[in-house]
This record gives sequence, structure tokens and C-alpha cells, in this order.
Amino acid sequence: MDRRDILAENPVEKRRGYMPGVSVEPDRILFTAGMTGRQPDGTIVAGGMAAQTQRTMERLQAILQYADANFSQVIKQLLYITDMEAHATHGRAVRAAFFGEARPTSTALGVRRLADPAMLVEIELVVDLLGDPTGRPLLEKYNVENHGLDFYQGVIVNGGRLIYLAGQVANMPDGAVAGVGDWKRQAEQVYANIGHVLRAAGASPAQAVKETTWVCDLASWRQHGTAVRRAFYQEDYPASTLVEIPGLARPEFLVEIEVIAAIPR
Amino acid sequence: MSYTTITPTEAQPVGHYKMATRMEGGRLLYIAGQVARDAAGEVLGKGDIRAQARQVFQNVRNVLQAAGGDLGDLLKITTYITNLDDFPAVAEIRSSFFPGPLPASTLIVVSRLAQPDLLIEVEGMAAIG
Repeated sequence: MDRRDILAENPVEKRRGYMPGVSVEPDRILFTAGMTGRQPDGTIVAGGMAAQTQRTMERLQAILQYADANFSQVIKQLLYITDMEAHATHGRAVRAAFFGEARPTSTALGVRRLADPAMLVEIELVVDLLGDPTGRPLLEKYNVENHGLDFYQGVIVNGGRLIYLAGQVANMPDGAVAGVGDWKRQAEQVYANIGHVLRAAGASPAQAVKETTWVCDLASWRQHGTAVRRAFYQEDYPASTLVEIPGLARPEFLVEIEVIAAIPR
Repeated sequence: MSYTTITPTEAQPVGHYKMATRMEGGRLLYIAGQVARDAAGEVLGKGDIRAQARQVFQNVRNVLQAAGGDLGDLLKITTYITNLDDFPAVAEIRSSFFPGPLPASTLIVVSRLAQPDLLIEVEGMAAIG
């Protein structure tokens, strides 16, 4: 681990709870799925934003511990929040207690809905891990809970070359949008595009390590998109996050999916 | 450059951005979501998407330069805006910062950002060679 915190001269970021930039040697990197206040029985912990943030952070801590890591090794946190004021009032201090003096880079987004309407906050992390990647498998995908859902809670990349895909939408080769108003057709086109891009980069769907799915309507995505996603990954899922937002770059787009993948060095 | 631009023949970018980038070396830099705050931490350009976009991309560049890199080292950026109608102005200002194609890129309309006055936030990752 050879981490450098990057403080730009302008603007001054010192009084804020995060670092403007963090750079690392990408030897071993952990991507977590978006975690929420979900409990083992599938329900969301009672008690509002503070309780959900606490539960979320405890689950992330377990994912970090599995990888022999702690919060000081987090280089990025992404927060999806349905009520920004409630988080500022009740969630931030809970989160800060887990991070202590550690300062990752951070992005906080107000979204319309998370996977369950009771969810108020979802957090995902990117983590710089200790240890030599030599002799380890390229990817270590793992769960710390028996959640039974279609993703892994943590994916470790050992010494891989990271591939960052642009957010993929239902564009066809001629630039037209496939399936205007048609969720299934858009899901098929998006995953076809992801497949093309991964292949061009030398990667397979199984080498996707993190996926973020942005949808304009969660119910429609579940009804029409989930099966397409299953067929694409064939059980070999990445860590993933699913959120509902008000819009994408064009009004015709119903879904946008971005993927990080890795191939051996 | 510490990365390769991936250009699939079957899925071309619709716009002036890269479809994917593959990191080949260097240090991996994560940049926090940058918003239109000035040196004192105050929000600049309230209600003015162009002023905010300029400040945001300047801030992104400042972080990259502080890390020993520049905009050309970006692997990926994500632009979050609160109003889709602002996108044309954002795209124009964003393009003025990049001499060539954008890095791999995602544009998302969110319900809101950390403060109600913020209209745009941009985060990214870079390979610093």
C-alpha cells in the first residue's frame, strides 16, 4: 500500500470530511457492492437514517474485514441518499465514527429510490488492499452474508489491469436508440454493448468487478431487465449497485449501466 | 499515457468520448466529486450552470495537477446534473476543457446534490504515469 492523499490548492478542502483525490499503486483493489440497512431476513432495519447508516457501515466493515482491511484504506465512497437533509442530520455522524480520521474521496448523490422503498441510504466503497498480488487469482468474489441476491458483496482485483467502461445505453451502431419505451429491448442492447466493449478490451462478463445500474423506473427494470442481466452474467456476477434516478442523457434512455472490469497484467 | 483507449467496432461511442479505457500502468487516482465551490468553500454561480460547470472542471483539473497529471490522464468521468435541460451547456463547457475526446463518460440526472444550490458534480478516475 502506497497511498497519496491529493490536496489541491484551490479550492481549499481541509475543513471537509473527505479528500479531493487519493492515488494508489493498483496492486490489490477491493470493490464493494452498494450496501444498505438490509437485515438477514431481508427487511430494512427500523429507526430511520441513523439506524440504516449504522447497519450499512457495519456490513461494509464486515466486507472490509474479510479482506483484512479497515476504513483507513478506503479510497472512494459513493453515497446514494433519498433524503439529503436527513443524512446530514442523522447519518453523517454515524458514518464519521467508522472513518475516524481517515479521509476517502467521496461523492454524495440524491437519488429518487433505492432497491427497496424503505431504504434511505446506500453506500459503496473502493479500497486499497495490502499484500502482494503474486500467486493470487485475478478476482476474488465473495459474500459475507447469505443474501441470496444476484451480486457479490466484495470483489478483489489482484494485480489486474482495470478497465473503465463509459456508461452504456441502448445506442445502436448507427447512433439510433433501440427500443424507445421498451425496457426489454433496451436492456438487451445495453448488455450487448457491454459485451462488445468488454471483448474489445480483452475481458469476459465474468471479469466484470463492479456494476452500477441507473434506471428511471425500478419496477420496470425488475420486470424486464433482470432476466437479461442474468443471462449475461451466467451466475458470475460483479459487485453491484442499483438505483432509480430522474433521468439520463436523453429522454429516450430508460437505463444506463456502467461497468469496471479487469484482466490479468 | 498509462492507459489504452478501447474502441469496439460493434459498439461505437455516440458522441466525442471514449467507450472504455484500460489502465496499463501508473498510479490509480480517484477524484472526489467536484462541485462549484471556490477557495473559501462557498458555492459559486448560484443558478448559473455555465459558471458552475467551468468551476467544476477547473477543480477536476486542479486535483489532477496536484497529483502530477492532467485531464488527458482521466480514465473515466461521471457527470451528475440536477436538470437535463442543463446538459447542452455542460457538454459545451466540458468539451472546451478537453482537447480531444472525453474519457469514458457517464451522464446521470440525479434528484439533488449535497447542497440545493449545486447544479453539477463531476467525479473521475485517472492513471497517473
